[in-house]
Amino acid sequence: MPALLSLEEVEVRRGMGVVLRDHNLTVKGGQCIALTGSNGSGKSTVLEVAAGLLPLEQGKVLHGSTPVIDHEGRRRQSPVTVGLTLQKNGVLGSEVVEDHLLLACSMAGFSVDVAPFLEAFNLKHRRKDLVAHLSQGQVRKISVLSALLPAFASNEACLVLLDEPSTGLDDDAVKVLCRWISVLRQRGHGVVLATHDERLLEQATHVHAVAKGTTEPRGVPLDEADIATPAGTARRVTPSAFGIKTHRQTMLWLNTNGMAALLTLGLLLALGEFILDLTPLQRLGFLLAPAFAAGLCGEPLVAAMREERASSWWTAVGGGVPHAGWMPLLIGAAVTAGASVGFQLPFNTLHVLVGAAVCFAVWHAVRLMQLATTRLARPHAAMVGLLTPVLILPYAVLVDWLTR
Amino acid sequence: MKSAGVVLFAGFAGITTSMLLALLWAPSVSIDAFESPAAQRIFYWHVPAAWAAFIAFGALFIGSAGWLFKRSERMWRLHVAGSEAGLATGLMTVWSGCVWGAAEWGTPWDWTDVRLNTFGLLTLLAIYVVLGRNSQPDGVETRDTFAAFGLYGFVLVPLTYIATRIWTIRHPGPVVGTDDGGSINGDMGLVLLFSAVSFTVLIVGHMMASMRLTLLEQKLQRLQAKTDRVV
Repeated sequence: MPALLSLEEVEVRRGMGVVLRDHNLTVKGGQCIALTGSNGSGKSTVLEVAAGLLPLEQGKVLHGSTPVIDHEGRRRQSPVTVGLTLQKNGVLGSEVVEDHLLLACSMAGFSVDVAPFLEAFNLKHRRKDLVAHLSQGQVRKISVLSALLPAFASNEACLVLLDEPSTGLDDDAVKVLCRWISVLRQRGHGVVLATHDERLLEQATHVHAVAKGTTEPRGVPLDEADIATPAGTARRVTPSAFGIKTHRQTMLWLNTNGMAALLTLGLLLALGEFILDLTPLQRLGFLLAPAFAAGLCGEPLVAAMREERASSWWTAVGGGVPHAGWMPLLIGAAVTAGASVGFQLPFNTLHVLVGAAVCFAVWHAVRLMQLATTRLARPHAAMVGLLTPVLILPYAVLVDWLTR
Repeated sequence: MKSAGVVLFAGFAGITTSMLLALLWAPSVSIDAFESPAAQRIFYWHVPAAWAAFIAFGALFIGSAGWLFKRSERMWRLHVAGSEAGLATGLMTVWSGCVWGAAEWGTPWDWTDVRLNTFGLLTLLAIYVVLGRNSQPDGVETRDTFAAFGLYGFVLVPLTYIATRIWTIRHPGPVVGTDDGGSINGDMGLVLLFSAVSFTVLIVGHMMASMRLTLLEQKLQRLQAKTDRVV
């Protein structure tokens, strides 16, 4: 049977030290590998490397026979369905419980009846609630379920990566989790878990000592009865579709980008009826300024998704970090049209389209700047705003070109 | 550190001398050629500072590439030194340019002048790299991120250089290194050359001192980590 996951001669640096050096690990279908070691030995690092979240100094990581990441920075989409629970829960908080679990399944192209799983975790009565309204332990259960459900729904061998999944779970929930891991193993899925919990360690077919880099087999009986999980197919949710939905639900865009545009427009209008006395270049510059200001705020989802490492979860499982997609086009067009009315200028379709394009381009350019600091220990302190004036020159050149 | 101090002192002395020469000895430009001929003497500070900034940004680029591709500690120290020197000389250039622009153009800043703006952005990048790096704990994540910004920023250097030749809107074109021999006379060229050499010496001394300081900081961090393990 080919390996689901292979770490080959992997070297990873974190902070000032080398956490993993010449590290090898192979996970096949039907295996449950428990990563053991003291705090700081690199258990979470192995899991994050396996999920393709960390850059490698040396070596490569393969899912099946496909190298998903190597030390030269090459990345490829995993052909294997990956379920992931990080140390943090990987959720935004504004998701509805049931929707989030269905979303996790849809990443692999499946749909599954989540009710039995929620019932087993004593969460059925909370399935229509927002994740943010749950207790820490309940959110942890959702995070664990979002890693397990794609594997339960899939007929093909999946890779399930669990980092300290039992943290915050009550005894009954841990027993249920142990049973589910056993069932997944019997179905031929590969499970890797980092844990200090003896009850979960008992489910492991192999124990991998991270500090030594050795893997030892251990005998585990296969005596769990299977669980019926009727599954169907579902359309894959893209990071863009999720981002737009989240923006619509949370109105994050209004609090940041929308307010920046409205304040800019309000400030310009408060200066009096000066707009008709300006040159065409100045007039267009002011007309497009609210759309430009809206874009300059960047993507509010980037900061929101850092909190519980939702962006890392999406990168590993969903193939990218959620973003507002085409929404800035709409916002740019609306505020430019509003500015046109406010300044009492004749409506010009070209100007509205340019406003939409400016907002879209600036929004996504700032988003790329924000994402460039994702690896930092304190990304919020990196002052990305200092880089945004780089966008003023293209804006000035565009306005100049349009008014020639 | 001692050699860096000597080089720095030589640079300071050279710049002081060149400024005295610029103010007291160098001939004035034609009163018909500029709106504000007196302000034009800032040129002896502005152009050599810009030249030194390009050297610093070159060091930032080499240091960034050296860290990203070779994982060289020495190259990381060069990145740190290049960004700090780039920030210092960039601010010297931008500030003196604003003074001259206010006197000559009637405005300290012109958003339509490509060279002015690309140079301003280079300086802003140096501010970002220096402040951003200092806001983070040292580590491979911090180094990779800011080294990448150092590489991207270097794209602005050739753009700034060719901007004077392609998009000369308000900035004067090149005054040396042109086919017609440039627009400055012999004595002016001599003071400009002396000033450029002095700024070069200063920036080399600055980078030597900065690299040494970073090395000492790294040693201190290692000792602190060792002490933590013992305690």
